[in-house]
Amino acid sequence: MPEGIAFRRIVAVSAWLGIAFLLFPVAFTFAASLGPSQFIEFPPAGLSLRWYENIARINRVVDATLVSLGVALLAGAFAAVLGAAAALALVRLPLPGKAAVTSLLLSPIALPIVAIGIALIQFFILLGVAFTWWSLVIGHLVLVLAYPVRTVAASLTLSNPSLEEAAASLGATPWQVFRTVTLPQMAPGMVSGFLFAFLISFDNYPISIFLVRGDLTTLPIELFNYISQNLDPTPAAFSSVYVAVVAVLIWLAERRFRIVSLSIPR
Amino acid sequence: MAVAAGAARMTGLLLVAPAVLFLVGFYLLPLGLLLEESLRPWSGDAHPTAAMGLQQYERVWSSGRSWRALERTVRISLVSTLITFLLAYPIALFLLRAGPRLRTAILLSLFVSLASSLIVRNYGWLVTLADAGPVNQLLLALGLADAPLRMVYNEEATIIALVHYALPFMVLPIYGALLRIPPSFVEASQSLGAGPWRALWGIVLPLSMPGVFGGTTLTFAICMSAFVTPLMLGSPATSMISQVAAEQFLVQLNFPFGSAMVVVLTVVTFAILLAYTLLVRAAVRVHA
Repeated sequence: MPEGIAFRRIVAVSAWLGIAFLLFPVAFTFAASLGPSQFIEFPPAGLSLRWYENIARINRVVDATLVSLGVALLAGAFAAVLGAAAALALVRLPLPGKAAVTSLLLSPIALPIVAIGIALIQFFILLGVAFTWWSLVIGHLVLVLAYPVRTVAASLTLSNPSLEEAAASLGATPWQVFRTVTLPQMAPGMVSGFLFAFLISFDNYPISIFLVRGDLTTLPIELFNYISQNLDPTPAAFSSVYVAVVAVLIWLAERRFRIVSLSIPR
Repeated sequence: MAVAAGAARMTGLLLVAPAVLFLVGFYLLPLGLLLEESLRPWSGDAHPTAAMGLQQYERVWSSGRSWRALERTVRISLVSTLITFLLAYPIALFLLRAGPRLRTAILLSLFVSLASSLIVRNYGWLVTLADAGPVNQLLLALGLADAPLRMVYNEEATIIALVHYALPFMVLPIYGALLRIPPSFVEASQSLGAGPWRALWGIVLPLSMPGVFGGTTLTFAICMSAFVTPLMLGSPATSMISQVAAEQFLVQLNFPFGSAMVVVLTVVTFAILLAYTLLVRAAVRVHA
């Protein structure tokens, strides 16, 4: 890194400003969630947990959470398995048209998300399965499949392929090699890929808004509706819980699987 | 050996087949149908025509609302990408020098931010910039404003929230690229008398271009497809194109027109990204 005291200070100050920009909204939201008043106010006039109790009064919050959890678990699991298989082939095996397959698998990330929702709802109406739970899982899977492909490919690239050859030359069958060498090498990528797929699906609004109707609803949709119709700090309480849960999940995944170093593109 | 190679090829095909077949069936095929839909006439038109054609695309051009929304989307995305880059680069540089604990703490907060709900984060900005929010209270306390300023439901708030959303996507690839630069390159330039700014401009920035390119490309794509953020922090007068397209499906029920808008958005996004790619390649060649 370039050296020089003034340079170093300017970089540090700018970096801290950026980090403050990243963290302030979360901190302010937490502060706002603790105020007793009907409206958001700064500084809060006192301490109260009433808005945390009020989370239960968000319209259909239990149903919506269960749908979102179920959809995100399934989409995440399918994405982790399909994505891991594809990544293994792309990194370790000879394959015709590798570049084209890679672009296809990663392209949903670059496409306007609304385009995916709009294309799918027309397709599902045509098939006569619109507004069903499974159509929601499929829609989310299209969006999240790319993430495990990336993370598993990263863990395979970072690990040593000669271990597989060594195991095979010592007499392990292909299945034994896969189970005892390759799979453990893929595991961190599968876990972080699943985690990202799960969180992105759990949070999705722009695809779900086209695919749900009537009784079928998701948490982001109900949260969005609550925010647009109410001014009280309940969403602040909800947000604080959400961020705390995500922070714990990420922290655990980092301790166990080093997901941070896996996800830095190299 | 030939048998083994054939078997490996077969295994490879079997492994990618499920993912590829899924995307062909539930992604490429629906996108193809979207393209077809955009060429259809709409039965709700005053003078519906029976023929398939480009009439919906002409409407995207001629309808003031969709054209202005497209223009605004491109402008907001360019501005947001530039601001995100300017905020992200110092963070990435700082990460290089930070001690292991601080580095992990910053990286983890980037990850938590990245993984926290977009709606939750946008709501954070609604709170932060609200009339009674902390920013207004600070301005009032410092005497910089006499009455609370209206800072939400406009284009600026949308840009702030988009930058906030995209920041981790920009920092991580740039940091990854900075990690690959051999420290000796920078040391050599400085021992030959280059100041830190000269070393940054002449050595570090060009060598981190792959990360900058990855980060800016991703940020731009994210901003172009923004939907929830302008919905929460903008106003109907500052709609982005995804919102206008979605209205055609959810409110007007004019599927062909909405499909045409989405196709135009996709084409414009890829065209700008392609132009940018070519520009960066040319710049790299000149530099080398």
